[in-house]
Amino acid sequence: MAGVAWTGVHKRYAEIEALRGVDLEAGDGELLVVLGPSGSGKTTLLRVMAGLEPVSAGAISIGGRDVTHLPPARRNVAMVFQSYALFPHLNAAENVGFGLRAREVPKRERRERVAEAARVVGCSDLLGRYPAELSGGERQRVALARALVRDPDLFLLDEPLSNLDAQLRAQMRAELKELHRRVGTTMVYVTHDQVEALTLGDRLAVLDAGLLQQVGTPDELFRRPANRFVARFVGSPAMNLLNARVDADGLVAGPLRLPVPPEAARGRPLEVGIRPEGVHLADDGAPAYVRLVEPAGSEAYVHLELGDEEVVARVAADERPPPGATVRVTVSPRDIHLFDAESGVRLEWSP
Amino acid sequence: MVAGSLRRPGLPPPRSPELLPSDPSLDAYRQAFELVDLARYTVNSLVVAALIVPSSVLVASWAGFAMSRLPARHARALVATSLVALMVPLTALLVPRFAIFRTLGLTDSYWPLVAPALLGFSPFYVLLYYWSFRRLPGELFEAARLEGLSPLRTWWRVAMPLVRPVTTAVALLVFVYSWGNFLDPLIYLFDERLFTLPLGLRSLAQLDRQNFPLLLAASVVATLPVIVAFLYLQRFFLQEGARRRWTRGAA
Repeated sequence: MAGVAWTGVHKRYAEIEALRGVDLEAGDGELLVVLGPSGSGKTTLLRVMAGLEPVSAGAISIGGRDVTHLPPARRNVAMVFQSYALFPHLNAAENVGFGLRAREVPKRERRERVAEAARVVGCSDLLGRYPAELSGGERQRVALARALVRDPDLFLLDEPLSNLDAQLRAQMRAELKELHRRVGTTMVYVTHDQVEALTLGDRLAVLDAGLLQQVGTPDELFRRPANRFVARFVGSPAMNLLNARVDADGLVAGPLRLPVPPEAARGRPLEVGIRPEGVHLADDGAPAYVRLVEPAGSEAYVHLELGDEEVVARVAADERPPPGATVRVTVSPRDIHLFDAESGVRLEWSP
Repeated sequence: MVAGSLRRPGLPPPRSPELLPSDPSLDAYRQAFELVDLARYTVNSLVVAALIVPSSVLVASWAGFAMSRLPARHARALVATSLVALMVPLTALLVPRFAIFRTLGLTDSYWPLVAPALLGFSPFYVLLYYWSFRRLPGELFEAARLEGLSPLRTWWRVAMPLVRPVTTAVALLVFVYSWGNFLDPLIYLFDERLFTLPLGLRSLAQLDRQNFPLLLAASVVATLPVIVAFLYLQRFFLQEGARRRWTRGAA
């Protein structure tokens, strides 16, 4: 077991720069989730850690040992691929034992360790089957067992749940978290799904365009997003962002008026961010036109036209207004986030 | 061919088609083996094929595998080179090749016949392997790398098992070519003891041009191994066809 660190990691491909100086670490036994949209460099981050790609600059370490120039096999990491990458011509037991066989572990010990790994992930009854005879979730388990059996210092998981249907995904998510708790090995988990990230991770690292945007606990990311990108990317539906300015009377965003002290803006053009659950329908407040209502079980997402801007409000299902209605909206100053309109960086202030 | 070979040697061809000769006999076979050393030629052909087929498969799959693991840019250059090489007509190479082998003192041996196999036999087979390997998901090879497999063991343990139908096809095509190859043995082999079957058939035809049962009997002997090989290997084509879904299903 060991912590891992990326230090000043750059990765350039012929034309694109996938990683532009990433400093990130995960503590011993931690479950670090790397969250980012496609093309953000998150998979590259895993691949340089695994040694499948060399870094262009910077260093990689596992357990304090510099592994930047070590071949993948000598880093003692296990990776679960998005497609699982099970060998189709081998049955589940042979797949799980593949690495042990490559390392010439005696047959008897191999069999015991395969059985043990299969037991831990709950695929003991699948060992005789071929990948083509397994369902998505079963393949997932076999792939996890294959990663587990070598007793690696580090687990790398590359969007391992993205090929599963929604129900199975939720179940496997819970099982993964439980598995991590039991084996206690450091895990780096890459995903573009923020729900997965928020529920799974001890800590989250948000990556965009090869740059680390913010690292923190799920709560920190959700409550105090460091910039506009994190604010929009974490949380569903996404945070509303409105152009705003602050004058002597407070903050003005279209028809919305909020008591915000002028010094909060530091004289800069602003964007104000409001989560959908922070937009309340009320008897008085700024007038808004209901353009669309999306029911979502116990709640509903109401798309509103507020001045020139579109705003989504999250309301209880039985309080949703009909489309086409005009409603009034209030926002509590406690629920707003301020961002510099140019750089997108969060501006701290206190009500 | 079989019916004709069963006729008594020396008789003229029948006037009307007949399914079996009225008086079938194996004399033609006996005579064919007596007149020329058909048994030795068969063994020679088998020896040559046994040298050519495995080395062609080995080298072509190595080359194809290496190409499939190269960055796309380099692989494309190699594909283009292979295609250019394929367009060179073999007949244009006959004279220079002969000159090379004579300078090396390797004529009148099996070296000139086996040499192409040591280069993958033809760029076509290399390309066939390249395309098949490239179609396999790259993550399989990355997984193998993480498990600590050397490229050679990855080729053997991961790549080859997944392209078995290609191997069957390449082996069969090379075998058929080698078995029926008349020109190269004719050019390079002078010693009758080294002759392969096609040369043997030729000398038989020269000995007795009119004796059709004899020629047909020798042709049957020459054709039989190819048919047996095909019938045997055909099972693999069908099986692999049915099992192909694994590659798609699991990847």
